[in-house]
Amino acid sequence: MIAYLTAILTLVGVRALLTLGLNVQWGLTGLVNLGAIAFFAVGAYTSALLAVGGVSLLLAWPAGVALAAAAGAALAIVALRLREDYLAIVTLGFAEVLRLFLLNEAWLTRGANGVTAIPRPLHAWFPGQYHLFYLILVLAALGLVYAALERVRRSPFGRVLRAIREDEVVAAVAGKPVFRFKVQAFALGAGVAGLAGVLFAHYLAYVEPNMFLPQESLYVWLALILGGSGNNRGALLGSLVLLGLLEGSRFAKDVIPFLTGVRLAAAQQILVGVVLVVMMIRRPEGLLPETPGSK
Amino acid sequence: MPPIAQYVFNGIVTGGILALPTVAFSLLWWLLRFPNFAVSTYLTVGAYAALALNAGARAPLEAAWLGALLATGGVALAVDRIAFRPMRDRRPFSLAIASIGVAFVLENVVRFVWGNDFRAYDVPVTRAASVAGLRIGHEQLLILGVTVALMALAQAFLLHTRLGVAMRATADNPLLSAVKGVPTNHVIAVATFGGGALAGGAGVFLGLDASIDPLMGGGIIISVFAAAILGGIGSAPGAFAGALIVGIVEETGTLIVPPTYKTAIGFVIILAVLLVRPSGLAGSRS
Repeated sequence: MIAYLTAILTLVGVRALLTLGLNVQWGLTGLVNLGAIAFFAVGAYTSALLAVGGVSLLLAWPAGVALAAAAGAALAIVALRLREDYLAIVTLGFAEVLRLFLLNEAWLTRGANGVTAIPRPLHAWFPGQYHLFYLILVLAALGLVYAALERVRRSPFGRVLRAIREDEVVAAVAGKPVFRFKVQAFALGAGVAGLAGVLFAHYLAYVEPNMFLPQESLYVWLALILGGSGNNRGALLGSLVLLGLLEGSRFAKDVIPFLTGVRLAAAQQILVGVVLVVMMIRRPEGLLPETPGSK
Repeated sequence: MPPIAQYVFNGIVTGGILALPTVAFSLLWWLLRFPNFAVSTYLTVGAYAALALNAGARAPLEAAWLGALLATGGVALAVDRIAFRPMRDRRPFSLAIASIGVAFVLENVVRFVWGNDFRAYDVPVTRAASVAGLRIGHEQLLILGVTVALMALAQAFLLHTRLGVAMRATADNPLLSAVKGVPTNHVIAVATFGGGALAGGAGVFLGLDASIDPLMGGGIIISVFAAAILGGIGSAPGAFAGALIVGIVEETGTLIVPPTYKTAIGFVIILAVLLVRPSGLAGSRS
């Protein structure tokens, strides 16, 4: 039970990081990104492939974050001039094409077999207690990123981002280089997602393309919308509630006998979809709404 | 290896299947101002509705196809009532997110009932005819014929019926047309039912041409987006042309890139159109 809780909490931590990344883009700046999972994948694969190739983790991890941020900046420069409904389609397409790339370019990514035996940091130092160590590592990373993003939110930079979200014409008239701020915000969010991917890859020690299906981006959205977009506490709470939904429904099979295998997975995803739609209709501001004027 | 003409012909058939959901997606986007991600899942709904009637209730496929049209139109109508109507005045992206949730629910209801297995309709196996070196299946011709007829019908409806004119007026200027006495909700209901029915019918075709599984509709979503954007949002002839071009480019493209990259071809088309000519082929509106 302890082992189960440790593993689950580690994955919640990773998910919360990913949600914090999307919160910078959507919650703070109002930028649509339906391909959040793509930047997670870039971080995971970059770091994993470098590490497996013998590169020190001290280099591989920052490289994963940096490449994810760079991919975010590149996509933002190409696509952020588009209207938001087009942007939704383009970011979704980007994530799917990236997954196809991971699947097909086996010379680089090892294709459907995935990357195995990804080295774990300081594995030999914590015999028997490694999962606990990794949980603490993930929570520490989460705490640092949370604190940093809170600073960003309250900084002059963060205020400009919120101004752009509310009305970018006004922000532009006030003399802010709106496009540059948008690209920076998108890249920052992508970098945070990349860090989540790095931590994910080196925790499981294995990644493969089908871990990054489009529906994973939907889970990130659900976590953000559940918790309340625009504030970082909401992103944390949403990730926790989403976990409750997914893990809780897993226990349903003990109660309802005919609910097994495919049916259980389908029922779980029906629940996710229904909660998303109901939240959008009834409570789009989330469980923890962003308090207006909060500094 | 089959000649290039075979790839082009297959592309035309693919394009024909794409045309129906593309028209539905494009017109609903124009009318309701948001990209409805659930439209491609309506193909899955239609395909399984026909499967239930055909393989389950032993109805001939023609009857099952008609049943699928009605059933999918009904599902689309219910979805609009439950999910989209309470959100009519929200920003487009909120509705788009809700529509993704809807797509997720529908796909998994299908999976819950029928499972993940690939399925096929109970139809007699016919031999593909060979015309001028091309393999042309009986079903492929049927699909093309029905698609062209339905496209013509949709265009005639939009141009020449009172309701079609009302629909275009509402799409162009919802406020003005409402003031002028156009029953907005009625117009939206008709468009939603019609769009759902077209997509559901296309789902049966896709099931005939390929196979039936819960991911079949979601699998063509990028192609539908590409065709609609290429054609120009809100234009039925544009959607038809866009779908044929996307179908042909995707099929012939597999001569150059591996078939697994088909989706990527659609994505490149989307990016290219949006960056070069965002209004698409049909042009004026966006």
